[in-house]
Amino acid sequence: MPTVKSKKKKVKKEVIAAEEQGEGMEVEMENRTNRSNSDSKDPLTPDLQDPAPHKKKKKKKTSTIVQETEHADIPNGNSAEPIIDGEEMTVAVTRKTKKKRKSKLAEHHSSDLRAEDDSIIYETQSPIPQHALFSAPHGHSQPVGKVFVERSRRFHTDRVEQLRHSELADDYMDPRQIWTTRDVALKVHHGFRVIGLFSHGFLAGYAVWNITVVYVLAGEEMRTLPNLLQQYHPLAYPAQSLLYLLLAISTVSAFDRVNLAKTSMALRGFLTLDPVAVASFLYFIALILSLSQQMTSDRINLYPTANQTLWPPGTEHQVLRPWIVVNLVVALLVGVAWAVVSTRPDIDYTEEFLMTMEVEGYPRGDENLDIPA
Amino acid sequence: MLQTGNYSLVLLIQLVLLTYDLFVNSFSELLRGAPVIQLVLFIIQDIAILFSVIIILLMMFNTYVFQVGLVSLLLERFRALLAFSALYLTLSICLHCWVLNLRWLDSNRFIWTDGLQALFVFQRTAAVLYYYLYKRTAEFMGDPRLYEDSLWLRDAFARTRQ
Repeated sequence: MPTVKSKKKKVKKEVIAAEEQGEGMEVEMENRTNRSNSDSKDPLTPDLQDPAPHKKKKKKKTSTIVQETEHADIPNGNSAEPIIDGEEMTVAVTRKTKKKRKSKLAEHHSSDLRAEDDSIIYETQSPIPQHALFSAPHGHSQPVGKVFVERSRRFHTDRVEQLRHSELADDYMDPRQIWTTRDVALKVHHGFRVIGLFSHGFLAGYAVWNITVVYVLAGEEMRTLPNLLQQYHPLAYPAQSLLYLLLAISTVSAFDRVNLAKTSMALRGFLTLDPVAVASFLYFIALILSLSQQMTSDRINLYPTANQTLWPPGTEHQVLRPWIVVNLVVALLVGVAWAVVSTRPDIDYTEEFLMTMEVEGYPRGDENLDIPA
Repeated sequence: MLQTGNYSLVLLIQLVLLTYDLFVNSFSELLRGAPVIQLVLFIIQDIAILFSVIIILLMMFNTYVFQVGLVSLLLERFRALLAFSALYLTLSICLHCWVLNLRWLDSNRFIWTDGLQALFVFQRTAAVLYYYLYKRTAEFMGDPRLYEDSLWLRDAFARTRQ
């Protein structure tokens, strides 16, 4: 900006000098200006010069003023000026001289104004090509900036590239592409954990329902055991099968959560009465107890077909009493196990163990070596 | 390096085999309308167990740890599964043979004796432990350390050589 001002001052001085010297000199200057303008601008904007003379002069005047003010404000004008050689410098000087002159002498010399207008025709055109000249880099500012960054600071460029890559990775990369085998294993584990949680609750409810039905059918003091056999025999074997299915899923889920295969961790859990360790123990006991009643369940199942040999009269109480007690114990065990597990549903030691599956986790490798999986 | 897609597919097959095994263990006693039904179910179940063991062994052979010769490392890590798989397969075949032998002529006959009951309890209990260990091992076979060179593996190799 200061340079612009100083040039303006210079121009003013020149204008005063020109006024003093007279009109002839002015015309000469104008001619030179026109020539030099046309010479210098022709190679840059050849097509923009032709339509200019066809425009109306008034319009050109106003547009000139606008362009002048714009030109004074744009700092790019300064950066472009040093490039201009000596002849062009004179052109620029005369251009500005004429601008000032146009505003000052318009009142005094109407005939001169005509002549100046001719020169203004070129002046009005000159800012436009200049503007176009400077606007051109604006259009390609992005690639220019890139080249500059890469050339001047290589390290900085690399960082920018890395950041860009990471951003791209965050924004556009499909999550499935960066899935590892560990993620798949964790997802499967999560899925089974959900099934296990469902199984815990369903098993507890089912066991309680089962024992309630048995006690209701058996009557007070177990006086209506034949009624129990009659009513319950179609349900006995399906109930036993379902009980095994749920117990198997629940036990595996409980073992998973206590990470039973890592013996030291499991032992520590049992000794400190970790809820998950206690639950897995209860489930395992319930499983064995339930399996031990397979024979009796099949006997109940075959009640109508093999009535004489399997169920001699008077043996119902002797056979059914332990079966009912064991079922009650199983129901209590799974109920307590479910309650214990529900107190800490977030504990999953196997998941924590799976999370450490990474190459960088070398210190964990020593622990893994000791695991009898 | 183990591809995620391949691992997912193998894991899916393993889980399907386990699910079938659990289904047969749970409901085979109900599906005894004809002895041949149980026969087919049991044959498929035993083959499924065998397939499962073969798959897990192939996965182990595919590991970098196995290929560099650290078989003992793998055996040490997965010996429980291998032991329980062998035990479970043996118990299953024994139980299936016994049950089918007793039920072949009359499938709705009461066949239970104390020996059969004990074998039944052992087989079903071993099945649960087998499910747990197999699922866990199948998940742990996705450990990236087993499929590439690492400081952990080099250290293990050095220790084995000593």
